[in-house]
Amino acid sequence: MPNSPATQSAEPHSNEAQAPAFDPVKAHIGQAFKHERQLIRARFSPDGKFVAAAGLDKLIHVWELESGKKHTLPGHATWVSSLVFNPKGRQLFTADFHGTIHCWDFAAPDSKPLFTITGADANITRALAVALDGAHLFSGGDDCTVRVWSTKDGAKVKQWPGHKGCIFSIAVHPDGKSVASGDLFGTVKHWDFATGKCVRDLDAKELHTRKEDFIADVGGVRCIAFDAKGTFLVCGGLNNAESNAFCPGTPLALLYDWGTGKKTQEFKLANKSDGPINAVRFLQNGMIAGYGETQNGAQTELAFWQPDKSEPLHSLKAQSAYDLDIHPDGLRLLAPLFIPMGSGGNGARAQQKAKYLPNASVVQIFNLFADPKAKQPGNGKKKA
Amino acid sequence: MKRSYECGSAEHLFSRRQALGTLAGAAIGGFGLSSLMQEAVAAEMKKKGKQVLFIWLDGGMSQFESWDPKPDSEFGGPFRTIKTSVPGTHISELMPDTAKIMHKLAVVRSMSTKDPNHSTGVPRMQRGDPANRGVSYPYLGSAVTKLLGFPANGLPPYIWIKPGSAGFIYQEAGFLGSKYGALALGDGKPPIHINRPESVTDETDAARNELRRLANARFRMDRRDSEVDAYEQSYEMAVQLMKRKELFDNTRLPAKDIERYGTHPLGRHLLQARVLLEAGVQFVKVTSYHWDTHGDNFNMSQQMVPQIDRPFAAIVNDLEERGMLDNVVVVLMSEFGRTPTINSRLGRDHWPDAWSLALAGAGINRGALIGKTTKDGAWVDGEGYDVGDLFHTVFRALGINPNKKHYDNNGQPLPIVRDDCFAIDGALA
Repeated sequence: MPNSPATQSAEPHSNEAQAPAFDPVKAHIGQAFKHERQLIRARFSPDGKFVAAAGLDKLIHVWELESGKKHTLPGHATWVSSLVFNPKGRQLFTADFHGTIHCWDFAAPDSKPLFTITGADANITRALAVALDGAHLFSGGDDCTVRVWSTKDGAKVKQWPGHKGCIFSIAVHPDGKSVASGDLFGTVKHWDFATGKCVRDLDAKELHTRKEDFIADVGGVRCIAFDAKGTFLVCGGLNNAESNAFCPGTPLALLYDWGTGKKTQEFKLANKSDGPINAVRFLQNGMIAGYGETQNGAQTELAFWQPDKSEPLHSLKAQSAYDLDIHPDGLRLLAPLFIPMGSGGNGARAQQKAKYLPNASVVQIFNLFADPKAKQPGNGKKKA
Repeated sequence: MKRSYECGSAEHLFSRRQALGTLAGAAIGGFGLSSLMQEAVAAEMKKKGKQVLFIWLDGGMSQFESWDPKPDSEFGGPFRTIKTSVPGTHISELMPDTAKIMHKLAVVRSMSTKDPNHSTGVPRMQRGDPANRGVSYPYLGSAVTKLLGFPANGLPPYIWIKPGSAGFIYQEAGFLGSKYGALALGDGKPPIHINRPESVTDETDAARNELRRLANARFRMDRRDSEVDAYEQSYEMAVQLMKRKELFDNTRLPAKDIERYGTHPLGRHLLQARVLLEAGVQFVKVTSYHWDTHGDNFNMSQQMVPQIDRPFAAIVNDLEERGMLDNVVVVLMSEFGRTPTINSRLGRDHWPDAWSLALAGAGINRGALIGKTTKDGAWVDGEGYDVGDLFHTVFRALGINPNKKHYDNNGQPLPIVRDDCFAIDGALA
């Protein structure tokens, strides 16, 4: 079963006989790991035993799921922009806003980088993905070039220039022969791994906005994922931004038939939310999960869509999140959620100096099955 | 309701330009001019030629992503700092061109103001946060026009280059009266109808102008009406601009300059500002909107900050090259900075508590880094400066003593600045 960051999908539960029944409509909040700083990336390890998350404090935080024990991996000089496990072995790759990529032995508490790639991008490295065989790491970012690196030693293998805007997202097709990368201007490029040629462009221009009075481009293909069979590709972002200041718009995810390249569905959130869909994942039954972000610490949602319907079948209200991953058991989702610490909004706040704190995070696990502790129908108190 | 705005005394009817002409003539003739008068003439002559370039990044540029980065603090952004031409001073890597001209600037990192809102903050800041005296104070451009007087070149004294619509923005003049308002050039383009139709001959034009003057004179016989004055003023400015159409002919601009400034609105508008300053326009305001980065602050700053970095450095260099930096006061600012905390949309909100601005040019201390913020960048460490202090600084840089000069509002003397503020320490040369 492929489990690159783009396609990480369900493997049979290790103890299938006792596994709860997969049912995203019954999704509920599970295990959580709090952190005092904002985290923007989070992933399950391929063995399903660890969670790694990173963000604005430059550190990599690794929690053991069973014990909750945590260790941190220092090494980045700036915010961490992307994070991905190698599906084979114990490698964790992390990238930052200075174009540096580190490779770690994620399970070793005192791990130093196994190797480091500096200048992986001329500026910010924004996206990472690992090939399904674990042999190659893909990176993309501000200089509009997809680069392919050996996971053995970080040696550069290939580079594919061609995007016109910075690359926000990369996914590897389950067949290992194709790679998709999405950019600021809403172009998804389909690369042939063997030849390094761009096979075609998929049009996701709904995810980019530049109105006449804007002074910046807003949006981009912020996330991208293949389904387990490689039949579909989904990408997400922000549609029809109203300004380049607040950047408010309509969260939107787009589904494509990978074979034809045709867009087959537009997914929307059920509730009011003004930021991009930051993360998308296919679930084991072909449904798609996506997560939004919104202003002022208000709640947005984790949405579950069926491929043939624009509105979500189900959604959970929750704080903004910037990433989403699915556990190898296919029964749990993971997202780094924003936690407001009461210091948000407009100043002046000179009177609150002592209480002025950075915002925080919780790495939240969502269980995709019925909550065994939930009251069953008929068990509650009867109305008087 | 039409409002009288001057007292109508003989002193006011005798225009400043007339007075200057008389004083200058007397000085040249050398007859009967007291030493006091000589000093006054010298002072006026010294002021002559002073200009202002006022760059307004509307919405609030992030100080963390520009003048005061704190990459090692919990509130810092992801960008690096870079060295500048002032040893020991670093700014954001998003401002590489400005870093090279830091020795020509005075950067104030300790602005601490009170208003966290755009709607009240913009006028409050551009008016110098005056104490409430029951009148609407003028914006800086109108104030400078009043205090320095209309320049003899006949060009509009106060031009505002902005995106969007154009027009004569008399509201900025406040109680001074509409004629001190701003002539706004939408997207830097010349006022409409700058070209007289070919069918209108010189004779026809002169005749219709005379008719207009007569009609105005009749209309205002029993009035001293600011709107008529404003109309008259704007018309005369339009006539002058019609004689200077080359100021808006971008084909005259060297391609190299266009490339240096950039083809985005801020680049084009600052290059247009240079042309207008070269021509002698006394006060040029350049506004750029949409700096209110509540959402996606870092991706937006990455695209936006370079749009001020490059043309700002270019115009400071160009003014210096042309020998104009000793005459032009340059101000680059917003209504406030942005929050240290990063919100749920990875944006920064409004933060008046501790933010930065930059000054350059006439009377400004070059290479000065003024004030500092705490290690985390959230608060001013030491003395903070309010916008009233900035107004003291700018007026003094223009040779105006804010403690001695007053506005006259129908005989009521009004201070031109807050009397509880002072010039920013170290900002003046």
